[in-house]
Amino acid sequence: MMTVTLDIVTTAVLLFVVATGLLVIFGVLKIINFAHGAFLTVGAYGALVTTAFGLNPWLSFPLAFAAGAVVGLLVERLVVRPLYGRPLDAILATWGLGIVISQFITLGFGREIQFAQSPLSGTISILGETYSAYRLITLAIAVAVGLGFAALIEGSRLGLSARAVIMNEDLARGLGIDTYRVRRMTFVVGCGLAALAGALITPLSSVDPNMGVPWLINAFMLVMVAGSSFLSLALAALILGGAQVVVSSYFSPILGGMTIVLLSAVVLRLRPAGFGRD
Amino acid sequence: MTEESTIASVAPSTPSARAGVERLRRFAAVLGALAILVAAGPFVLDTYLVNTLIRAFHYALVALTVDILWGYAGILTFGQAAFFGIGAYAAALVFTHIGFSPATIALAIALALAAPAFVGLLLGWLSFYPGSTPLYASVVSLAFPIVVTQIIFSGGTFTGSSSGLVGYQVVDFPIEAWFWVAGGGLIVFGALAYVFVKSEMARVLVAIRDNEERCSYLGINTPRVKILLTAALAGIAGLAGFSYANFSAVVAPELTGFVFGTELVIYVALGGRGTLIGPLVGTIGIDVLSSYLSGDLPYVWKLIVGLIFIAVIVALPNGIAPLVEAAWRRLVHTRRATGSERPVGLSSKPVAAVSTATLEIVGVSKSFGSLKVLEGINLTIVDGELVSLVGPNGAGKTTLMRCVSDGRERSSGLVRVNGQDIEIMPPFRIASLGLGRKFQTAGIFESLTVAECLRIACALHDQPSFLRSLEQLALPAAARLVIDATGLAELLSREARFLSHGQKQALELAMVLALEPQIILLDEPTAGLTKAERARIGRVLIDLVAQHRLAVVLVEHDLDFVREISSRVVVLHQGKIVLDGTVADVVGSQIVRNIYLGAGHA
Repeated sequence: MMTVTLDIVTTAVLLFVVATGLLVIFGVLKIINFAHGAFLTVGAYGALVTTAFGLNPWLSFPLAFAAGAVVGLLVERLVVRPLYGRPLDAILATWGLGIVISQFITLGFGREIQFAQSPLSGTISILGETYSAYRLITLAIAVAVGLGFAALIEGSRLGLSARAVIMNEDLARGLGIDTYRVRRMTFVVGCGLAALAGALITPLSSVDPNMGVPWLINAFMLVMVAGSSFLSLALAALILGGAQVVVSSYFSPILGGMTIVLLSAVVLRLRPAGFGRD
Repeated sequence: MTEESTIASVAPSTPSARAGVERLRRFAAVLGALAILVAAGPFVLDTYLVNTLIRAFHYALVALTVDILWGYAGILTFGQAAFFGIGAYAAALVFTHIGFSPATIALAIALALAAPAFVGLLLGWLSFYPGSTPLYASVVSLAFPIVVTQIIFSGGTFTGSSSGLVGYQVVDFPIEAWFWVAGGGLIVFGALAYVFVKSEMARVLVAIRDNEERCSYLGINTPRVKILLTAALAGIAGLAGFSYANFSAVVAPELTGFVFGTELVIYVALGGRGTLIGPLVGTIGIDVLSSYLSGDLPYVWKLIVGLIFIAVIVALPNGIAPLVEAAWRRLVHTRRATGSERPVGLSSKPVAAVSTATLEIVGVSKSFGSLKVLEGINLTIVDGELVSLVGPNGAGKTTLMRCVSDGRERSSGLVRVNGQDIEIMPPFRIASLGLGRKFQTAGIFESLTVAECLRIACALHDQPSFLRSLEQLALPAAARLVIDATGLAELLSREARFLSHGQKQALELAMVLALEPQIILLDEPTAGLTKAERARIGRVLIDLVAQHRLAVVLVEHDLDFVREISSRVVVLHQGKIVLDGTVADVVGSQIVRNIYLGAGHA
């Protein structure tokens, strides 16, 4: 029972971290970055490279973020900027981008499954249950990401501009905010977050060029349900991620794999605003 | 049919009929040429290519269904692969678990058609409802193949789980015959699709894509159209799946998958959505090239396809086909002669018996939380009245229009249209009660011609054809009055997006009248019009009320215009009716003066 509870919490936290980058971009740019899964993969390979060079595995997180941000900066100019205002086309073009990125990764690293070194191994005993120490650490990291991000949004000038763009882009531009810059920075941060999330999940799973796709789908559904609020995203990750763990543990892991997708579609049908406010 | 319409349809029909025969001959020639190519294929191509092409033909057929959904109806779907897969699994499951006999073949075919169509109905019901967004429909279409794949994974030995089903007995044709079956099937479906996309019904799909709200206010049950389209195309994709399961003798979960679904979208996007030839050539070309190049250039080929795909989406959203077409036309100097530019004959519908009209609004209120936008509105309007609704911005005029034309809008109160309580009816049902609404910004269908826009507006009383394209437009007299008075009658073949602002307003008015309503709501029909255009619309409105006995409700800011044409004026202020009287009452009213001059309310 304790294990299931911990599974629910850590799964929700991982989903939250993975979906955060997607939500940020969706909130400000109003487009869905279907290359999100590929950026996740970029971060995972970043972690792989970090440990392969014998560097401290903890370094893989900042390095992954940087790798994602750099690639993000490049593609924002080339692919994303022409697609503002064409949300369905943006889905397609970023999906194509995902294909291209994962093919580059395949060319560079091969198609086979690889394993990165975990920064923390072993288990911790909580209330009589032993539990993976790394999964528990993800909790702390997720909270740090969440708080850091809240600080960025609430406390920084970029955050203020981003909130202005989310609320009313035309007005923000009229007030002299460089909305192009806000979008570019948001996209870069979103891609960096995706890669960071990739590095974070790497020690829990194997690494391969297409590992991002299942995560992309779940993150996408969560963002659709959450709208553009971090609180609703956290709520959605907890409820739907929790449902996934319960179905996987007590019924079948295969059915668990489609729980989030199915529940999200139904939630949206019944309540188009999802977990957000109307 | 009236005398006029008979003359109109007979007189110009000779050249148009000749053109029709010519078109038919060209159509038959193209089909014949394709049939010869397919017939000769197995004798001139090597076995590997023949095999690859058979697969590509199957994929191309499914790609055509994606194209009709996305390119014409505007529904970006990743789900067609799953219908194809369900059809394939239907065959494999029947042959594996029940056996192989003529009876089970018939059963498998029936299942491969009915199961996807039924699932298509469910998926359509989930995706399309009044107020659903295109993004939501795409989300559902993306979730759907994932769910289907997971179900197959969890099916154990029944579905073969991740390794799929193999070794079942199949309808065993020699390879040449498969080529003919798949190629012939593709030609037949392609021809049917060609007829369909030229038909009046396909114009309805484009209209829904361009402006779904306008369609529903013209009495079209748009969710129903989309649900039925999804189900029909699901069945067709399922049949292709049946054939593929027999040809390949193996089915795998990837056939139903989301990745295959996106590949189909990529083929269609590269070839050119909204054309038939583009997706056909795109699918066959990429699939065949892939099968050759992915061996020589592993990974690089997929990388190239990905890069081209991005470039096409970013720079050529309509794909490569329109580009090739334009180049071809420049080369041979032919003018565009698409179906939409053929002349359309115009005729009048017989005038229906003059009926009475009543719009009763009883105690209607509308509030957003604690903010009351409308409060206790009571108003009855009958035929022969032209009621102007005036009041400052934010008085609730447009909100009142919305509460009358959409049953889900008002917070409380009762609205009866021609005696019928509108309850919580969606707009298309209220339209069928005899109420038409014109929007403030002209709601027209940008990519359709004037004639086609008007034809869509007649759809409520005159079911659009699945086979015929628009050649004869029979309009009710009131709509005819508008297009004659505003010169639109000469512009029937012009695409609506090329019209001037005033012409667009007039077109929308004519569309609303083509619905044959007894009551019309007009929201600032003269906004942004020149003085001459305004006077013309004013005369038309007076005519409509006097001759056609319509009940007209008009929201208007221009008080001079109101004074000239109204039989009655209702003044709204802060959500309440403050005055309901004649033009003279309003002109002499101190209250109205105070409202407009901002001296508080007396």
